[in-house]
Amino acid sequence: MTHLESELQLLKAELLSMWQLVHSQLKLAQESLANADKDLAHEIILKEKRVNALETKLDIECENILALYSPVAIDLRLVLSILKINNNLERIADIAKSVAKLVIRSEKPIDPALVDVTEILLMFEEATCMTEDVMKGFESENTQLARVIFKRDELLDSYNKKSTAVIADYITRNPGNIEQALEVHTTIRKLERVGDHCTNIAEEIIFYIEAKFVKHSKAKKLAGNSKGQED
Amino acid sequence: MEKLFSLNHLKDKAFLITGVISTFFGLVVLAIFLANIMIEGIPRLSLDFFTSLPSRRAENAGILIPLIGTIWIMVLTSLMVIPFGVAAAVYLEEYGAKNKLASFVEINITNLAGVPSIIFGLLALELFVRFLGLGKSLMAGSLTLSLLVLPIIITSTREALKAVPRTIREASYGLGATKLQTIQMQVLPSAAGGIVTGIILAISRAIGETAPLIVIGAMLYITSPPTSPMDDFSTMPIQIFNWLSRPQKGFIVNATAGIVVLLSITFVLNGIAIYLRNRWQKQVKW
Amino acid sequence: MNRIYTEDVSVFYGDNQVLKNVSVSMENNTVTAFIGPSGCGKSTFLRLFNRMNDFIGSFHKTGLVSIDNTDIYKKDINVEDLRKKVGMVFQKPNPFPKTIYENVIYGLRLQNISDKKILDEAVETSLKRAAIWDEVKDKLTKSALELSGGQQQRLCIARTLAVKPTVILMDEPASALDPISTSKIEELIFELKKQYTIAIVTHNMQQAARVSDRTIFFYMGDMVEEGDTKMIFTNPKKELTQQYITGRFG
Repeated sequence: MTHLESELQLLKAELLSMWQLVHSQLKLAQESLANADKDLAHEIILKEKRVNALETKLDIECENILALYSPVAIDLRLVLSILKINNNLERIADIAKSVAKLVIRSEKPIDPALVDVTEILLMFEEATCMTEDVMKGFESENTQLARVIFKRDELLDSYNKKSTAVIADYITRNPGNIEQALEVHTTIRKLERVGDHCTNIAEEIIFYIEAKFVKHSKAKKLAGNSKGQED
Repeated sequence: MEKLFSLNHLKDKAFLITGVISTFFGLVVLAIFLANIMIEGIPRLSLDFFTSLPSRRAENAGILIPLIGTIWIMVLTSLMVIPFGVAAAVYLEEYGAKNKLASFVEINITNLAGVPSIIFGLLALELFVRFLGLGKSLMAGSLTLSLLVLPIIITSTREALKAVPRTIREASYGLGATKLQTIQMQVLPSAAGGIVTGIILAISRAIGETAPLIVIGAMLYITSPPTSPMDDFSTMPIQIFNWLSRPQKGFIVNATAGIVVLLSITFVLNGIAIYLRNRWQKQVKW
Repeated sequence: MNRIYTEDVSVFYGDNQVLKNVSVSMENNTVTAFIGPSGCGKSTFLRLFNRMNDFIGSFHKTGLVSIDNTDIYKKDINVEDLRKKVGMVFQKPNPFPKTIYENVIYGLRLQNISDKKILDEAVETSLKRAAIWDEVKDKLTKSALELSGGQQQRLCIARTLAVKPTVILMDEPASALDPISTSKIEELIFELKKQYTIAIVTHNMQQAARVSDRTIFFYMGDMVEEGDTKMIFTNPKKELTQQYITGRFG
């Protein structure tokens, strides 16, 4: 193994530990939201510092590798995609943090009826799961796993789309709980963003392994997807 | 434009033809000369010719004594000139400081190589024959010839040493070698091809020299081959010169036969030198 | 222990000053790269450490060059011993026109070591350390000149290792080699720095970036900047360094 290879291995390992941290943040956020667990929420906020530190560290390491080793081809794509994945992960962690803040802020647990109609916990579960699955795709360098993410993001989108109507309906029936309903609406928006971040990451994985730009091109994504299914 | 072009081409051609003629002129003359000597000389060559002592009658005369004298001269000269020449060259090339004195010595050695051989003979007559009292012996003769070819050996050895790449020396020093170790283990072996070539060429020049030996008085009538360095002697070129100065036709034939032998020796030596040079060039590539 | 440092070193060739008051230090088991444009004095600086400049008649220096707390330009220094301790690898592979085996043991022969067992062992360990053993173990008695350029350079490294140096100086060790051989040499440098302190002169900035822990930038005989390679190549402190490493020079 050349020195560059071992450096890249290290970088990958560090990205994965960042990834695991972000995933656990999201999971904890989901739990604290479901149980209105403020202690857990505080823990999340505390751990967010570690996420930020890791993000900075990864950025510096990518910079060093680019400056010192001038990688090319797949090595270059790996470093570039890690840079972007790193950024997306940090944003996902931010979302976990904002959920934690919401939990801390709220005086009472979320109305179970509201949880039911918006299916927010299901949506949360899906977002957490996607974060983990896209990580597996990266770890195993499996673009097929990455491509599945595009479909699953559509599911999150649909939750988000119907949420406006559902929440409006809830508000007319429970005018005393408007504030909480709006907070839930914002959270759903954010969870939808998690899906977008996962999609971005999946695109980066495809770029890294297949050297294809699938951004902004639904046709290509789907073409790749159907081809993936044929395989 | 076109005219100028063709004029230049014409000049080009003219130069080429001049060059070819010049080259072949020398070769043709040499070939005629060689052929002439061969035709006359070769039939005279026989075992008797090599083993006979000098004689007043041309058909009985042989080259035993001058041949042995030449071999003596070759060996003695080599023994004296090689250590001195190589040592001097190593000193000048590897140790000598690069200052004004060094370049003065260098110029003088180069000049020495160009001094007419008869001058060396005069010097030797005074110094070796008379002052040191060596007489007309082999010793005096080979000392004279040593002096004559010493600058040649020094110059050619220095060239060979110069051709050893700096990188090899640096590698040797870099591993903790002293100067002497570097010279012994790297520089001299690497330069050996060039040095040996130079030595052979110098020796072959030495055995062909006549003038200085005549000056020190080696042109004698000797009846037995020399057995020690202090003996009187004769050499091939002297014998040839001797025969050529006789009026009888038979001695002229003897002289051409002698020339054939002398030329053969020189050609063989030169051949060895060329062979060695080629082999070394092939072996050592940097 | 064998910390190397210089204090206010100036070097002159006759009246021409090629290094001006250079003070740097090198830690154990690190690779320090000397970079800078041609004629900046980096090679001269490298050659100070095994006194290779001594062969140049007009060379003289002022200031202190210290290895293991010893002024290596002291009067009673044994230069040959110094050169055993401070090995050197040159720009062009320069194996001796001898067998591979003889090349490796040359330094030991100089020390009059002739025990076959010791020599055999030295050959094997040195060639292994220089990562060339597998390629040459079956042809140790073949001429070193039959090897490819990259192999020759690794042989030269093995030859240097055989005399057990603690410091290795490399003067553009890969500049005459093809990319594959170059990367082999670079990988080798990584391995070697675990046991040796290495200083390398290179024209190739990428190479300096890849192989070194610390980088020293020279310009016109001045030491402009010294620092961690990562710092030099991501955020150099001096404008001149930045211009040089980004290729915006002159």
